[in-house]
Amino acid sequence: MRVYARYAAGRFLQFLLVVFIGINLAYVITHATPIDPVEHTVSVATAFGQTAPDAIESMRQSLRELYGLTGSPIEQYVNFWRRVIVADFGPSLSAFPTPVSSLIGRATPWTVGLLGVATLITWVIGNSLGGLAGYYRRSRTLKAFGILAMALHPMPYYIAAIVLLIVFGFVWPILPISGGSQMNVPRGWSADYMLSVARHSVLPMLSLILVGLGGWFVGMRSLVSNIVTEDYVTYAELAGVNKTRILTTYVMRNAIVPQVTGLAISLGHIFSGALITERVFGYPGIGSLLVDGVHAGDYSLVLGVTTISILGVSIAVLVIDLIYPLLDPRVTVG
Amino acid sequence: MKSAARWLAAGVLAGSTFWGLTQPAEAQGIPRDIPRKELLILENPEGTVKNAAWFNIWAINANSQSNGLQQAALDTLWYIDPDSGIDGVWDNSLAAAKPIYNANFTEMRVKLRRGIFWSDGVEFTSADVKFTVDMMVKTPGMRWSAVLANAVETVEAPDAETVIFKLKRPNSRFHSLFTVRWNAVWIAPKHVFEKVEDPNKFAFDKPISLSSYVLHSHDPDGKWYIWQRREDWQRTSLARFGQPAPRYLAYVDPGPPDKRVIAQMNKELDVVHDIAPEGMFTLARQNPTSKAWFKGFPFGHPDPTLPAAIFNTQLDMFKNKDVRWALALLIDIKAVSMASYRGAATISPIAVPPTGRHPEFYHGPMQDWLAEFEIDTGKRKIKPYDRTMARQIADSLRPSMGNQIPSDPADVAKAFGTGWWKPDPQAATELLERAGFRKQGNQWLKPDGTPFVIRVVVEGDARPIMTRAGSMIAQNWRQFGIDARVDVAAGTLLTRRAAGDFDVILSWSVETWGGHQDLSFFMDSWHSAFVAPPGQSQPLRNWQRWSHPDLDKIIEQIRTIDFDDPKGIELGKEFIKLTTREMPLIPLMAYNVFTVADETYWTGFPSADNPYANPVTNWGNSRYMFVKIKPKQ
Amino acid sequence: MFVVLRDLLRYNGEFLAGILLTGIVVVMALLSFFSPYPPMDQFVAPMDVPPSAAHWFGTTSRGQDLFWLLTYSIRNTLAFGLLVAILSRILSLSIGLLAGYRGGWVDRVLMSINDTFIVIPLFPILVLFYFVMRDNMSWVMLAVLTASLGWSYDARLIRSVALSLRHREFTQTAVFSGMRTHEILSKEHLPFVLPIVFSTSLNNMNWSIGLEVTLAVLGFTDINRPSVGGMIYWANQHSAVVAGIWWWIAFPVGLVVMLFIGLYLLAVSMNEYIDPRSRLERGGGRKE
Repeated sequence: MRVYARYAAGRFLQFLLVVFIGINLAYVITHATPIDPVEHTVSVATAFGQTAPDAIESMRQSLRELYGLTGSPIEQYVNFWRRVIVADFGPSLSAFPTPVSSLIGRATPWTVGLLGVATLITWVIGNSLGGLAGYYRRSRTLKAFGILAMALHPMPYYIAAIVLLIVFGFVWPILPISGGSQMNVPRGWSADYMLSVARHSVLPMLSLILVGLGGWFVGMRSLVSNIVTEDYVTYAELAGVNKTRILTTYVMRNAIVPQVTGLAISLGHIFSGALITERVFGYPGIGSLLVDGVHAGDYSLVLGVTTISILGVSIAVLVIDLIYPLLDPRVTVG
Repeated sequence: MKSAARWLAAGVLAGSTFWGLTQPAEAQGIPRDIPRKELLILENPEGTVKNAAWFNIWAINANSQSNGLQQAALDTLWYIDPDSGIDGVWDNSLAAAKPIYNANFTEMRVKLRRGIFWSDGVEFTSADVKFTVDMMVKTPGMRWSAVLANAVETVEAPDAETVIFKLKRPNSRFHSLFTVRWNAVWIAPKHVFEKVEDPNKFAFDKPISLSSYVLHSHDPDGKWYIWQRREDWQRTSLARFGQPAPRYLAYVDPGPPDKRVIAQMNKELDVVHDIAPEGMFTLARQNPTSKAWFKGFPFGHPDPTLPAAIFNTQLDMFKNKDVRWALALLIDIKAVSMASYRGAATISPIAVPPTGRHPEFYHGPMQDWLAEFEIDTGKRKIKPYDRTMARQIADSLRPSMGNQIPSDPADVAKAFGTGWWKPDPQAATELLERAGFRKQGNQWLKPDGTPFVIRVVVEGDARPIMTRAGSMIAQNWRQFGIDARVDVAAGTLLTRRAAGDFDVILSWSVETWGGHQDLSFFMDSWHSAFVAPPGQSQPLRNWQRWSHPDLDKIIEQIRTIDFDDPKGIELGKEFIKLTTREMPLIPLMAYNVFTVADETYWTGFPSADNPYANPVTNWGNSRYMFVKIKPKQ
Repeated sequence: MFVVLRDLLRYNGEFLAGILLTGIVVVMALLSFFSPYPPMDQFVAPMDVPPSAAHWFGTTSRGQDLFWLLTYSIRNTLAFGLLVAILSRILSLSIGLLAGYRGGWVDRVLMSINDTFIVIPLFPILVLFYFVMRDNMSWVMLAVLTASLGWSYDARLIRSVALSLRHREFTQTAVFSGMRTHEILSKEHLPFVLPIVFSTSLNNMNWSIGLEVTLAVLGFTDINRPSVGGMIYWANQHSAVVAGIWWWIAFPVGLVVMLFIGLYLLAVSMNEYIDPRSRLERGGGRKE
């Protein structure tokens, strides 16, 4: 147990280090953006109407004060960390004075809902089919599926998504292609609203599943087909243990461990993966928030989203690393 | 066998779920529980609104303006139409009459209408106007704070229907701040905002309206807003023209251009804000109920803005007007028109948009001057103007577009514009050589011996038309031996344009009222006093950072004459002659916006035949179509 | 080497298919050197012509011949993928081998850096970089950036192999015979990890090309230079989907999908070749 505690402490320190480096990197990059948030606000605010040019300089000045951009770079950096520790990213610059955290809070359920569910479904289907395919190597259905999954797997997500959109939204328009739910359906836990959300999630979900399935499938199939040749499986077969039982208890249980790690990492990557899905399907969420923030030079917002996403992956990896030794006794700690 | 049965069952289950979710998809794109026949669905080109529950338009980061807020809910003193207008170009909205200035333009007096009420039943009075101005002057950092603080000494409301502005210095165009052309200073409800501690941090949710509609509901994620006609719509300024026909308005984010076309074909989007020309042609072909500004080619509504190739005239290589002229003479406008608009462009050789009533004031009368205009290449004198250019474009389209292309010269001029500069590589060579440039092999060199490189900055995705025009212009220059490249600025465009971080930018620094001859809307900001030194931010709109003593004289004269003074036209012509000689920007064409209305549920949208309002959905002026359209059945 | 290739071709259908698909794509790319059209110019052919004898893949709304444009695009896209693969291999090899061989604090430091790269959200960073670099964002620059973000997973893999090599006898022998670290790594360890490097680099190419296509489609790359993603970008600018110019999207997508599947099949078959157990199966040694 003491060995494990030492391992856990070391692992935790490494986690802190990784998060610290990651957020700093993001801070440096976001602050190097050539887009000046003040200039952007001024330009947007004056883009259409008539504004006397001499008024603009005073506009800039008052905005700088309003946004709190007047301190020295070091003060701003220290302030940033002071706020991050209490999970406050300050007010968004392009949606001033709405706090970044409330913008993120509003967008997160969509992203987590869509990508989280899609990742889980993909993982379950991919691994079950992959496991079966690794065990029943002669099955034609599974072989055909293997070829299909291999063909879909390497496709870049954008291309799969745009093809689905064209097919089901234009050529054969049976599914909504934009938005998260129907207009004017009140939000809440009503069946009506849920159904509307489900309908709108079909295409984005389908695209994520199609592209994601192959990876898990192929991975699981090769893991299982390796385990199948192990001696203890052969003994079990010779001893006449029920095939289904061999598959579930002897084979899958051992093969699933690395796949669980993979699942954790993919769940952690949800936040950065959301960008393209949301863009293609006009789905609300974190990704569009991020792009908006980048375009507006709103580094508070961009940093907020990137920090959340760095934390997402690191925590997922940490949790897995911590429970890994407990799951699989073959892994030695040290 | 057992497993096969299980697979079958799973397949059936999955299939039926899919089927169940897909079934009534045709109704997914419209709001639930609102009768379609009473609803007008319009595109909000702002897309998804990030800070969706923010309706304080007076705060600097108002977020959404054109989600219906400025079109359906707010009002101000005057409106000026870019086309012919519902009852003339000028409309006294909250004001009862035109502004009355004193002799030296240091005081503006406004008479207000009575009997106008806020949607919560409070009467609108001069106190609201005074409060709006005072609030922004007192609270720096609001949208119009700086402008008002710089111009207004005091504002008084001696009685409920009179407002008197005392100005800090003479200004004959002060009323334009309160005159809607896209937007203006909107009047805020005093009884709401006076209770607010910091108006910069007040969301104004839910908003109180001064115009005919109130907020019904909206998407917390900012994809749609639904507005409902006020029960007491008669107590608004718009009621002078009758009852607004749609009981409900929905301003939605329909997604990228392709999706807008699909949405209109599915009858889920009555008014599209803008699409690519190819999308426009598809609608014209496949959706017979789609109606654009022009019945046929070139379809789009010419906005009173002038897309141009704008030089950064502070760069050494563009300081010489010979260089600027040489580059203009290398542009093949026919190719640019094809590349950008597929020929559906209204071209303009001069720095005034060929839209609204400008052709009758400027383009038409100046044809002869343009035809006689000469430039000296150093070796000879040439007359670069070709007045048949628009006709040539129309002729070249006729074989493929048939009788969609007008043949009457007046119609051709209205749709395609007039003439433009003939491409003349020989003259361009002479001009460049006179400026010290020389050609080595297939590559032009600057006077200092380094390659002549031009970065043409375009916006990209958000403005396909100008991206396409920019890439054609770069090609024209490249084929002549200049290393010209297109650079997509995307989100950095606003910052780069202001910072002068470009060689040439495809944008517009000329933008006018449209329906009125006055050019002060953009020209006043071109005064040399406002030109920023290199490297510093240039306030709008003189992106070319160009100044000229003659220009200052024109601007100063305009400041001293009345808005409606016919002398304004003469000064406008002086401006055109000056910019033609100097070429600080290469004028290209009108910004034709493919605003398309579908007449399945509503008819009577504004069009070239009945130009009573600007149909472009994000303009505050588009509100006049609510009272003019009629339900189909 | 020749024997390996022959075996692969004979016994491994996936390898054959992979070679064929990749081969077609490479031939397309090579054809670009014979193109009658300059790659950057528009309006050199009629607009919107469907596939025909004169224009095999049709023409675009920008007046370009799709076939010849595609040859340039796929060449540029391939070049990008190759460059990223080479650069990121150099990084992952040197870091993975060094960490695995030296162990201790060197390993911990290197792996911390490695893990940082794993957790950094890739796409947002690339988009941000695009804005920071702007016109200096040439394709080489983008490749360098992509490579420096895309080595970490493979470095971990290589490290794990190197870890096991560290305790092998020949490593000890090499150390005693006075070889320096870089010599041991390059002469003794490198040959063992080369097969992994080969198959991971094919997957890495898939990954980086997918990334470039996506970035280009969204307009976050240099649009002057033809690329597969850039073609889709321009097709979107001209609303090709709703205008019925399907070939403008279909051919680039088809070709790039061929490339993806081809590279993937090559990687898979190579993996199987490296892993002797599955090679045995191929030969029909195993009964069920």
